[in-house]
Parts: sequence; C-alpha cells; structure tokens
Amino acid sequence: MNAIEIRNLSKNFGAKQAVCGLDMTVPMGAIYGFIGENGSGKSTTEKMICGLIPKSGGSIRLYGKEHTDGAVRAKVGVLIEAPGCFPKLSVFENMMLQAANLSIPNAEAEVVRVLKLVRMEGAAGNKYKNCSLGMKQRVGIAMALLGDPMLLVLDEPLNGLDADGMRIMREVFFDIVKEGKRSIVVSSHLLGELQKVATHYGIIRHGKMIREMTAAELDADCRTYVALQSGEMSRTKLLLGCRYARVEEDEAGYLRVYDATAPEEIVRYLYDNGVCVTEIGTDKIGLEEYYVDLMKEGRT
Amino acid sequence: MTRELKFESPSLARRIRGMLGVDFYRLFHTPLFYIFLAIAAIIPAMVSAMTMMPDPSGNAMEPLYSNVWQIIAASESLYVIHTIADYANMNMVFIFGGIMVSVFIGHDYKSGYVKQLFTTHAKKQDYMISKSLVCAFAMACMCVSYFIGGTVGGLLVGYDTAVHVGSLVLAILGKMVMSLGWASLYTFLNVIFRRYFGISIASSFFFGTGILIIGAAAIVESLSLPTAFLNLFLYGASVNASLSANVGTLAVCILVSLAWSVIYNLLGTRILDRCDVY
Repeated sequence: MNAIEIRNLSKNFGAKQAVCGLDMTVPMGAIYGFIGENGSGKSTTEKMICGLIPKSGGSIRLYGKEHTDGAVRAKVGVLIEAPGCFPKLSVFENMMLQAANLSIPNAEAEVVRVLKLVRMEGAAGNKYKNCSLGMKQRVGIAMALLGDPMLLVLDEPLNGLDADGMRIMREVFFDIVKEGKRSIVVSSHLLGELQKVATHYGIIRHGKMIREMTAAELDADCRTYVALQSGEMSRTKLLLGCRYARVEEDEAGYLRVYDATAPEEIVRYLYDNGVCVTEIGTDKIGLEEYYVDLMKEGRT
Repeated sequence: MTRELKFESPSLARRIRGMLGVDFYRLFHTPLFYIFLAIAAIIPAMVSAMTMMPDPSGNAMEPLYSNVWQIIAASESLYVIHTIADYANMNMVFIFGGIMVSVFIGHDYKSGYVKQLFTTHAKKQDYMISKSLVCAFAMACMCVSYFIGGTVGGLLVGYDTAVHVGSLVLAILGKMVMSLGWASLYTFLNVIFRRYFGISIASSFFFGTGILIIGAAAIVESLSLPTAFLNLFLYGASVNASLSANVGTLAVCILVSLAWSVIYNLLGTRILDRCDVY
C-alpha cells in the first residue's frame, strides 16, 4: 500500500488547466521531494491532496482510502505556504486551538511535545504576530506534526529557516519516517537542502508529472563530469569543445567536461596540444543541476 | 517501540465539540465581542433616552416612545415601517450582529485559519454548524445586553412601565431564538463572499435591515393581502415577536429559526464542498 496514489488528476480554474492527467505515487516511509517551477501545479496538487480545493477529475487515495475520508484526514499534517494562525493569539494558544480542532486528547502535553521537537518551547508564549518568519515556519511545522500524523504535506517548509532550523527539520523528517510507515511530501525550491533528505522525487511541469524516481535512480541518472583549471582557460575550452560534446564553465571558474571517460585522457589530450592542466577532478551533478537540465530539455 | 498504522474516524459530536471549543475560545478572547455587547447596550439606551420626533401636527417634538418596553419590541407585529419608533427595537441587534459575525468569520479567512482547519478531518458541515451556533450565542448575548441598555435608558427617562410580562418575556425569547436563523444566514453570506471581506459585511448589513421583507410587506399591505406568511421569513418572524406575543409566536420563531438555519447550513456546506476553500 502506498501513502499517496494519484491517478490522472486534473484541476481546471475556468479555462486554465492547472493540473492535467497527473500521476503520483508516494510509497510508505518515503520523503518525497516534489519539485517544479513556479506555477507548475505543485501547490494546486498539494491543496487537492489536503482537501482545500476539489479536483476536476482523477483520483487521490491516501493509505488506500479516498482522500476525503475523515479517518485518514485526521492523520494528515499539513503546512501549505504559511501556517494559518491568529496573529493576536500566542503560539501556544494557536497550537491549542489546532489541537482542539484535531480532537487530540491530552492536548497540552501534545502541544508541548511538538513545540519541543521544533525547538520552539521557549517562544510558546510569544504572540504569533511577533514571531520572525523562521519561527512562524517552525510553528507551522509543529502544527502539522500535531496528533502524530501518518502523512505530512509540506509546501515550502524550509523558507525562512536558518541553518540550525534546517538541520532540526532534517532530524525531524528522518525521525518521522524511520519506522517506514509515515511519509512526507515536501515541495521546496531549495533543492540542495531537499537532496539531503529526499528518498523519492517527483518533478512536475505544466501540471504533468514528467519524472518520478528514487534517490538511487537520481544518483544513477546524474551525469558525471570532469572539472579542471588550466593557465589558458579560453584555449582549453576551445580545444575541449572540439573533442567533447558538452563543455561548460561553472560559477567557480572551472571548466566542466560532461560524460568524459577519464581525467587522464583529458590531461594527455591537452598536454599534446600545449596546455598544462593545473587542477583536475571528477564529480557528479546535484539535484539542482539535474533539474535545470531537465527543464532545459523540456523547453527545447 | 513500533507505532501501529491505525486510522480512526472521529465522531460528529467529537468534531463539533472540538470546533465549538475553538470558536468559543476565540469569541471570548476577541475584543470585538465585548465591543458589540457594549454597542448593543448603548444604542437602545441612547435611542430611548435621547431621540425625539415631531408630533402629528409637526409643531412640537415628542419622545419616541411612551412605554419602556417599546424599545425592546413593537406593540404589535408591524411589518411596514411608518416611523423610526416602529423600527428601532431589539431587531436592531441582528444588524449589529451581522457586522460582528462578518468580522468574526472574516478573520478565519484573513488569518488562514480555515486552511488549517479544512486540512484536518473537519467537515464543511461542522464548520457551518459551529459558526452558526457560536454566532447565535453571541447575538443572543447581544439581545440580553440590548434589553439591559434599553430598560435602563427607558427607566431613566421615566417612561411608563406597564406591560404584559408574559408577552414581554416571550417576545425577548422569540428574538433570542431568531438569533440562530440570523447567525446561519450571516455565516452563509460570509461563505459566499469569503474572498471579499467588505462585501460580506455590506451584505450582512443589507439583509439585517430586513429591507427586503419591509418592501414585500408594503406591497402586500397595499394589495390588502394577509401578512401572516411574512412570518415564514427571518425578519418577519423577528417582527412578529412583539409585545403582544404568545406561546404560538415563540413556537413560530423556533420553527422558522431552525428551518432557515438548516437551509443556510446545507447551502453553505454545499458551496464549501464544491468550491475552493482557500
């Protein structure tokens, strides 16, 4: 049984089709990185999963049940964009209200537990309106964690978090899924951070899922490259461009030769042409570059 | 320790209890509620103590009322308004109440609370029921506040206090009962105009004035048709709870209020189910 199973999902806003024929599978125990450009349909899909907007077609099943089923809804924790809190009430009061909506027994203890998890216990008495952006995100995540949810749907949860906040979130995510039954869907534009936690990925474009894969598949799919520096970079680039299909200069000033067989071969080739390599190494592209490449392919 | 994969559907009573707890907590912790309670007390006191109107000859001014209780309810069911005195009674609570409900529910949308709520097991009908009940309670409290303010104002001016106590009590109870129907109407209007805060306040004010029923009553009266069917509407039934009210009047108020409450709750639930909540 999968945590989320979406088949042929569609959503129309008048004449505009925001999501069209989307399929998505989130296995139990997965941290699913949901990636896409602005306006690609990520938030719309998440809002449909959470029951905030009705779907125009297709099916959404959560743990084998219809997504509107009250029993399964009670076990879904959500953070869409920003937490919905009353600004004049304190963090603790807002949390208690959400706990009451969730009919959680021993609400106070549960609120204290989740606030501790996100290291917000010290700010529980602060009025919500006085919290910083990062603190508000933590409150939102704490709210999503109330009632021990089986599924977390988090839309841009890492926005505004400092380095420590991101580390804490990683720990929280790993702790949630460690038993293999709970799952998390995280959409974020911070792909480097996402890559540190995600076990599965779904890439959406124009309302359609263009790729779904595991972290291992992504790793295998990510191209290797040889990065090098020499005394004559422009000549080196010209020479390498004659022999290899893709040669690019990166932000750090290195030349990247994609899909090259071995660094020694490149060094020999350049040496034979009178260029001396000063630094060379092999690496792999990350999720961010993989995603950018995929988007470029889509455009062309 | 391994946690089990267990899904349990919370009962309607449990869901409503949780939501009512939240809404009552918010109601009692918002200054808005107390401000409107004060408004509900001050306005009738001021109207009965300070408002004068020209006498029939138009030469002199005379007090608006002759009896303390006329600020609470009209002497008899008057659907068509001839003077401000015919209009200014406890029914005004439903105008203030409409504004209060709009602001109260508007905050649900402005703060994003509904987003937080509807991503849980909460059903749309629970929301409609909870808001209707809590706002009805708030309006019923405003009726009590209005009663206190109006009575004190009338007594200070020295109006006559003669009244049929049973009818007065039934009229007040009738209007308090009508709060449920009105609160459901306002909740429904706020669901329709959930993205437009200003329009939701304006629409609540418009319906709260009862202008539609007053207009209909004028037409009915000019055609010399019976006006009893106007009691089937919220404003009509509220007007019908006058100082000549009897047990039948209260029964009509209960039935009309409940019936409209059910209708508006069903319609509101349907809209929320079919439309984008947030």
